[in-house]
Amino acid sequence: MSAALPVPVIQALQVLTIAVGAPWVSGVIARMEARLQGRRGPRVLQPYYDLAKLFRKEALAPEGASWVFLAAPVAAVASYLTIPLLIPVLTSYGLPLGYMGDILGGGFMLSLASFLVAIAALETGSPYAQIGASRAKTFSAITEPVVLFVVFTASMLTGTDLPYAVAATVRSSAGQIVAPGHLLASAALFLVILHETSRIPVETHTGTNEFGMIDEARPFEHSGPYLGLLTWSSQIKQFVLYTLLLNVFLAPWGLSSTAQAGSVGLAILALLGKAALLGIIVAVIDNSFAKLRLFKITEFVSGAFLLAVLAVFTFYLGGV
Amino acid sequence: MGPVHVAGAYRGVVDILAALTLVVEFGMLRQALARDQIRLYAAQSALISVLAIVIGAGRGLTGLFALAGLSAALKVVAIPLVMRRLLRGPGRGGSGPAEAPGVAGSLSLSLASTVLWSLGLAAFGAFTFTAMNIHSPVAPAAALAIAAAMVLVSFALMIVRRDAVSQAIGYFSLDNAISLASLVVAAGLPLILETLFLFDLLVAVVVFGLLMRARHARGQSLSTAGLTKLRG
Repeated sequence: MSAALPVPVIQALQVLTIAVGAPWVSGVIARMEARLQGRRGPRVLQPYYDLAKLFRKEALAPEGASWVFLAAPVAAVASYLTIPLLIPVLTSYGLPLGYMGDILGGGFMLSLASFLVAIAALETGSPYAQIGASRAKTFSAITEPVVLFVVFTASMLTGTDLPYAVAATVRSSAGQIVAPGHLLASAALFLVILHETSRIPVETHTGTNEFGMIDEARPFEHSGPYLGLLTWSSQIKQFVLYTLLLNVFLAPWGLSSTAQAGSVGLAILALLGKAALLGIIVAVIDNSFAKLRLFKITEFVSGAFLLAVLAVFTFYLGGV
Repeated sequence: MGPVHVAGAYRGVVDILAALTLVVEFGMLRQALARDQIRLYAAQSALISVLAIVIGAGRGLTGLFALAGLSAALKVVAIPLVMRRLLRGPGRGGSGPAEAPGVAGSLSLSLASTVLWSLGLAAFGAFTFTAMNIHSPVAPAAALAIAAAMVLVSFALMIVRRDAVSQAIGYFSLDNAISLASLVVAAGLPLILETLFLFDLLVAVVVFGLLMRARHARGQSLSTAGLTKLRG
């Protein structure tokens, strides 16, 4: 029997798991992607070495950039790390701070971080960073309705939009998992996540072609620790979105139902395992499709929107 | 596992299959290649056949197994095969285009607006049928509403696409939508009647086949956009 952990420690562990695990998930995806292309690929731990290197380097700011340019990366990481307090990362029961905000609250934190990074990109005066910021905002405006419809479906299914309650409903019976409304909403959320984590078919994750860049173009002018923070923040965002999809919608199993250190530890491993599996699926998609032309992205998003709206329909038609 | 669970799972599976046929219908609407449209049609027909098997097994209607087999043979195998043959071009032995002609660019609206409009149509169809309150002992009412939505979306497919292949596929998927509706409201219908309806489709295949051949032979294109002009 292991000792019970105090609640604040579990709460802190939720944030720590996301913060420390995020580069590992990115490393797994990069490695898998390379393997699928027949390359040996970087070590799974390479993102940590990259971050460590960036944090040791000197930071430069473009002339004329104000404090906003330097504050944005810190604020972005802080915003992304607030979300693990709101969603079930390790425990199936609600932690005290879990009721600070609902899924929409988490969505607001994601938008806030993205807004701050966009503002910092505008500060630089660099055309590439600015075009990235402008595109990111344009496309996030068209993915927002999809997210809203996904949230509507989840809240109609459960009567609340608190992530813990949604996960508990999904876990409650097998019928909930195969409910068409739930599956369609999860599929729509998955497409949004592909979009938000700048994966193919929306954006080349490791590309160097500035004309196709959206999210990747924004930190062009940041350097040193600030670039490190931005890179880390996009890894955290990816892991947060994966956790949201896995622990709230698709597979809310493996969460700890007690405060025992052993079961919380197992929950950490389960989450990392599930995220790695999802990452492998994303890597396979990355390697099987071509990047869409910029103006075709609306068609991709309209597909996600279609699924989300059909999810709401099937709910109303009684096919819960 | 109590009986309630079984009923829940049965309902869930039927609902999922019905929802998937609607998703595939939208897929046909979005698809840019004629070849892939035919593939999606075959997938949709396969889903309907599986649905017939599920309903047959769940409600003890053994006649549906025969129907499922027949419709799979016809709509999953035969019709897609004939369509692909027809697309291979008019010349025997490959004097026509080697690759099936695409239907990209045949949309009369932009893709995103097409999706939005047909979502509106689907909502109209589905909700009016729900309001009619038709209940069936064999399948959940949601499937009937989805069938109504599919009927309207397949009409939309025939209206917004300006090429013979999409219009044929739209017509065939209309038949799938009606098969779905009949599975819900009249699953116990005598097999002979169901089979007759199925063979009605073959006439349509012949007619559309002739239309596509004639269109391609006249204008070297499957587009119907030029047919609006009157030539004296």
